[in-house]
Amino acid sequence: MVGIANESVVFFGHLSELYQLAKEGKIETKLQGSHTRPCKFWTAMKILSGIKNTVVIAHGPSGCAFGVKQAYKLTNCRNSGSPYESIITTNIDEKAIVYGGEKELQGAIFEVDNKYKPDIIFVATSCATGIIGDYVDAIVNKVKPKINAEIMAIHCEGFAGEYRSGFDLVFRQIVQLMDKPDPESKSKLAKSVNIVGGKMGPERTEIETDVKELRRLIESMGASINAVIAGSCSLEKMKQAPSVAVNCTLCLDMGYAIGREMLDRFGTPLNSTILPCGISATEKWLRGAARHLHLETEAEELIKREYEAISVEFEEAKKCLAGKLAIVEGHDAIKSLSIAHMLERDFGMRVAIYNFHPWSTQARETSIDYLLETGLDPEILITKGTLAFGKYEAMVQTENELMEYLGDLDPETTVYFGSSMSFPNIPVVDLNSILNRPRFGYRGALKVAKCVCTALEYSFRPRSWVMKKMVFSENSGLCSAQSLTPKLAQDLPDCTFYAGKERGKCMTS
Amino acid sequence: MYDELIFDNCNHSRDPMVGCALEGATGVLAGIKDISIVIHSPQGCSSTVSAAYDIHEIDFTKRKVACTRLFETDVIMGASSKLKNLIKEADSKFKTRAIFVVGTCAADIIGEDIEGLCRNIQPQTDAKLIPLMAGGFRGNLYDGIELGLNALLPFIKKQKEKLPNTVNLIAPQANLNPTWWADLKWIRETFEKIGIKVQAVLPHDTSLEELNNAGLASANILLSHDAGYQFGLKMQEVHGIPLILSDIPLPIGLKNTSRWLRAVGKYFGVEEKVEAIIKEGETMAIDVLRRRGLMMIPRYRNCRVAVSADATMGIGLTRMLFEELEMIPELLLFRSPVSDSQFLLENELNNMGISPKVVFSADGYQIKQSLMESCIEAVFGSSWEYYLAEELGIKFAFDVFNPTNRQNYLNRAYFGYEGMLNFLENVANDWERALRSKHINWEEFSELAKKWSL
Repeated sequence: MVGIANESVVFFGHLSELYQLAKEGKIETKLQGSHTRPCKFWTAMKILSGIKNTVVIAHGPSGCAFGVKQAYKLTNCRNSGSPYESIITTNIDEKAIVYGGEKELQGAIFEVDNKYKPDIIFVATSCATGIIGDYVDAIVNKVKPKINAEIMAIHCEGFAGEYRSGFDLVFRQIVQLMDKPDPESKSKLAKSVNIVGGKMGPERTEIETDVKELRRLIESMGASINAVIAGSCSLEKMKQAPSVAVNCTLCLDMGYAIGREMLDRFGTPLNSTILPCGISATEKWLRGAARHLHLETEAEELIKREYEAISVEFEEAKKCLAGKLAIVEGHDAIKSLSIAHMLERDFGMRVAIYNFHPWSTQARETSIDYLLETGLDPEILITKGTLAFGKYEAMVQTENELMEYLGDLDPETTVYFGSSMSFPNIPVVDLNSILNRPRFGYRGALKVAKCVCTALEYSFRPRSWVMKKMVFSENSGLCSAQSLTPKLAQDLPDCTFYAGKERGKCMTS
Repeated sequence: MYDELIFDNCNHSRDPMVGCALEGATGVLAGIKDISIVIHSPQGCSSTVSAAYDIHEIDFTKRKVACTRLFETDVIMGASSKLKNLIKEADSKFKTRAIFVVGTCAADIIGEDIEGLCRNIQPQTDAKLIPLMAGGFRGNLYDGIELGLNALLPFIKKQKEKLPNTVNLIAPQANLNPTWWADLKWIRETFEKIGIKVQAVLPHDTSLEELNNAGLASANILLSHDAGYQFGLKMQEVHGIPLILSDIPLPIGLKNTSRWLRAVGKYFGVEEKVEAIIKEGETMAIDVLRRRGLMMIPRYRNCRVAVSADATMGIGLTRMLFEELEMIPELLLFRSPVSDSQFLLENELNNMGISPKVVFSADGYQIKQSLMESCIEAVFGSSWEYYLAEELGIKFAFDVFNPTNRQNYLNRAYFGYEGMLNFLENVANDWERALRSKHINWEEFSELAKKWSL
């Protein structure tokens, strides 16, 4: 890349070097103090919203419950045809802050058990009740024998960890709800798998999602899916989950937390690979599952069948891509690593990840370890904008820095994999677009190949000046497209937003 | 009068329909130009602040928010220096004229002295620092709006003289119309036509200059029945600006619009101009409905309906539905306690001679229960009520309020004459959607399908 020694560069090297620097504390790894991510409470809620007939009691003021209700439950209803889903708050006020909110919580548990008759009640703590020290566990234990639903306390105060910690906490904890396998249950589910590490409730009903593609592949192999945990799974399916032949991770990072816990506690085998983006990763994922299902022959036949179905178009596309440079936007760490894996292994491209936040090296340790162990060590370019005050995802500083490095690159030999709201002068492929799915499996590989070919074919067209003006208006130095208004947010790729923007971050992030 | 419904099992648990005080308070601040917000809180509260900006649909290039991202150690040890550094950073990077330093639940409970800290570092910052404690436990969205409005008071300069024919408009964001700023625009344009100047909007796209000069207005008009009333009274007390028109419904439907306009006309002595607007508006609305609405309105005659809204929309809408469209509003579900507007609601219902069942501060459970237990044929509400109705087998649900799945990309008012038509257009479209089959019966059309090679 041109001008790589420029003073705007914070880091340019390989992932392994960045990883080492971060571990040694030689590069800034904290996120900026502006426009932050959701907190632990939100991420915990995101997982819990995927368990059916559950009521979460958010023990705190109403705002925490209202926010996640609007973001997750409304999305569940809207996209998936699921019924209206309630999320409860103890709605504590100043008085409860002074005198404690334990009475409110106890009352709320009885009311919820009576009103909604859920399979399980989760009591989630918020900042307010965490700080005043309400003894939630004691109340939960006290009411347990007196209610019909199962009950579990989740300590997910927003201040008690990075946003990522909410995912891990809930994934590890819900394992306690599961039943120990016995020979009978194991034989019943000998040809079943769980997909673990999912979130955000039911899937969209009207499009081809990545999870649907994995389900199709597993079923085509002659096995079945017991549960997607936690994506629209029932408590009953979750209880029997340890008896399946194998847990397959959806997202390596998210899935590893629950998969490891189930392995340690129940001995449930774990098939953990990076996101099955592209042929090479999918094959590894399928073979890993087949080994535990004793369906190796069937898996090989499936692999052959699936590849044959795409081979002509895929090989044709591959010819256009081999040897080209791929710049991959690094904002969504896991996805960028998986895409890098696919582009190098399946398409023979040279990959550089742009603005992979050093913070991700700690938060995504599992995936990075996996990638390095498989012998992949992509180049990483980090510019100052990534660490600056503001939102690194799409602010004008990172955009200008990107232009600076990509300006002279040949659009014939370079492809940018990132948001359509970046405007480099090379073909842009936005894999977050809802129309570009599924991204997993063989069909996903073909979809990606076609997207790249289309981008190359139309690379003669200049990017829309109207769109650029919308995204980067004058004096917009600290802005981010992550803060788009809700009307606009409706129609943008759902991986681009979180929280009040009515969409969750991508379910695999 | 009305029949207030009481629920068992709702003393400790709520399925909230509105946000917390933080969202309300920052929703007010989001409407002020040239300012930034520093929240002293764990990172999740920044999502709530984003939601507040979303309510105003503030262009994403104009959002200037920073968050201290409090963690466990900060909660135990305090995080004053973290806050101090962030304020300084925000001051140098955002370069706004004022920074509101907002304490949320965590900072509020651990007793961070935000006020003292702002005072101490004020000499080191260019921006004026305004501390505001807005922990979510201080109340709901509407309480938060009052907190936010109060924080604007120091910006309003005391004025002895008042400018004739000028008004301030207060707190329109306590409004369920998803494109409420079109309501505001309608009022601004109408006032312009009758020679009344809007001195300041408190707040929407409001500059600090406008805020500074708000004390010059000769009247305040509150565009909400849910929040801002206390602030209006305070403005009356501190700045001597009378709060007018708070005893009549907002201009929703033909009759309410003419009542509201006549009250404005009478107060400012511009009755003739107002009459001309009413005549023109009513003629236009009836003319349009004659051509395009007659096939729609008779569908609903004597239909028993529920309205699930805030008081701002709900009180006005009840008369429109009852008197102008000849429906029967049998169930009124209000998201706020309606305490400041209770007399207005009572007067309206008495005047119309109806006694609907009413729920105040309705939550999701109460809405569902009330719909289930009533003989309701249609529901006017948000997308939440839409899903509830679907589940309960109520065929007609009109998704007209926030949060809504309806995408009105261009702002369209519910206030005024065109506003009534905008509202009815949404209703008419939902009617058609409710009756459109989602599954094509291919067997029935198999001959056609063969013919067309489908």
